[in-house]
Amino acid sequence: TRRRTGEALRAFHTAIRSSPGSARNPAMKEQAQGTMLKVLTSFKSSEIEQAVNSLDRNGVDLLMKYIYKGFEKPTENSSAILLQWHEKALAVGGLGSIVRVLTARKTV
Amino acid sequence: MAYHSFLLEPISCHAWNKDRTQIALCPNNHEVHIYRKDGAKWNKIHELKEHNGQVTGIDWAPESNRLVTCGTDRNAYVWTLKGNVWKPTLVILRINRAARCVRWSPRENKFAVGSGSRLISICYFEQENDWWVCKHIKKPIRSTVLSLDWHPNNVLLAAGSCDFKCRIFSAYIKEVEERPSPTPWGSKMPFGELMFESSSSCGWVHSICFSASGSRVAWVSHDSTLCLADAGKKMAVASLCTETLPLLAVTFITENSLVAAGHDCCPMLFTYEESQGTLTFGGKLDVPKQSSQRGLTARERFQNLDKKASSDTANASLDTLHKNSISQISVLTGGKDKCSQFCTTGMDGGMSIWDVKVSNPCPSLRLG
Repeated sequence: TRRRTGEALRAFHTAIRSSPGSARNPAMKEQAQGTMLKVLTSFKSSEIEQAVNSLDRNGVDLLMKYIYKGFEKPTENSSAILLQWHEKALAVGGLGSIVRVLTARKTV
Repeated sequence: MAYHSFLLEPISCHAWNKDRTQIALCPNNHEVHIYRKDGAKWNKIHELKEHNGQVTGIDWAPESNRLVTCGTDRNAYVWTLKGNVWKPTLVILRINRAARCVRWSPRENKFAVGSGSRLISICYFEQENDWWVCKHIKKPIRSTVLSLDWHPNNVLLAAGSCDFKCRIFSAYIKEVEERPSPTPWGSKMPFGELMFESSSSCGWVHSICFSASGSRVAWVSHDSTLCLADAGKKMAVASLCTETLPLLAVTFITENSLVAAGHDCCPMLFTYEESQGTLTFGGKLDVPKQSSQRGLTARERFQNLDKKASSDTANASLDTLHKNSISQISVLTGGKDKCSQFCTTGMDGGMSIWDVKVSNPCPSLRLG
């Protein structure tokens, strides 16, 4: 079923806000990853840019971490939409946001 | 010309003499070469050959005109000019890993060496034995010390390390100086005392710098962040996650502005807003000229899309002055509070001099 833009955006912000952060519990992290992936793949291409622009610097860094996590465990068709998210997130976060994915000690 | 290509290999490190007519640099080998400016040309006038490993740090004391060098051979040498020859004196650092950085203290009666032995050697001259001795600062450093900078009081020393932390230690040596008076970083400063330690960033601290007054310290880490600790605000740390590749060198140019450069090959301006406690990016200095963009054929567009997943027409060559990462910045004129000129050297073997126009509210940069 198609989601309305507003719902997708709200789900997105909720997923970002409730990211487990420093939780070490692997089950919690996996669940958060799964939720985030569902939210990201539910977006239409045209809605992505607006969603990225609604984030602050930390949010963009966090999104970039989830994008790369999504690349690690691809599902059918997930990489295509994640690449679009990547392009928009990169435009806002710059290469620095990717560097921080690589150097992060606490992964998502 | 403000950019001079010295070598085809990286310049490992450099240092200027007091009147900025001579530059000492390591051409990516075991030697130090000194060049003198004659008009518009640079002529090599000395080759200092003593190290058995790459020279990783050079510092030139402006008043006493002595050089200190350190290298991967675990040694440091103090060089004095006798007539027209630089004579080396070996300093035993008592380290079992490579030395990585060296700095004269402001009064030039001590120097500090950071090393892979996870400690800092503070060296001073012992008159009775006519010999340089050193004391070690070890705790709580957990990895290689990559960068050092002295506080103007000649006692406090900031150190950036591969254990992701910036620290300020006391390097008070009672044999060569009186007890220091209290500073915003603390009052009790026995040798080795830890005055400040940052919470972990996620990257090796490549470069660290005290402001001219010494009440602020800034550092850049490999996680593409720039941080500043303000002793005037109870050591509160402001940090900025940059959009750039990691920065490798940073210096204050006024009490509120910094220039940093690194793997993006161009210097960038940052400003510190004291009341808000924030750092902001002030722009890249080296704005490349817009090269004319010819249109792409459909075939080229498709190839771009296939190779790079984007139809961006920007060409892949570097438009910055430096063609490779900038690894060191040094202030040339004006000091760290009113810098009007600074110098960058990099892995492209080039050295560039940049002019700063200091104006309120914040400086702008111009290519000199």
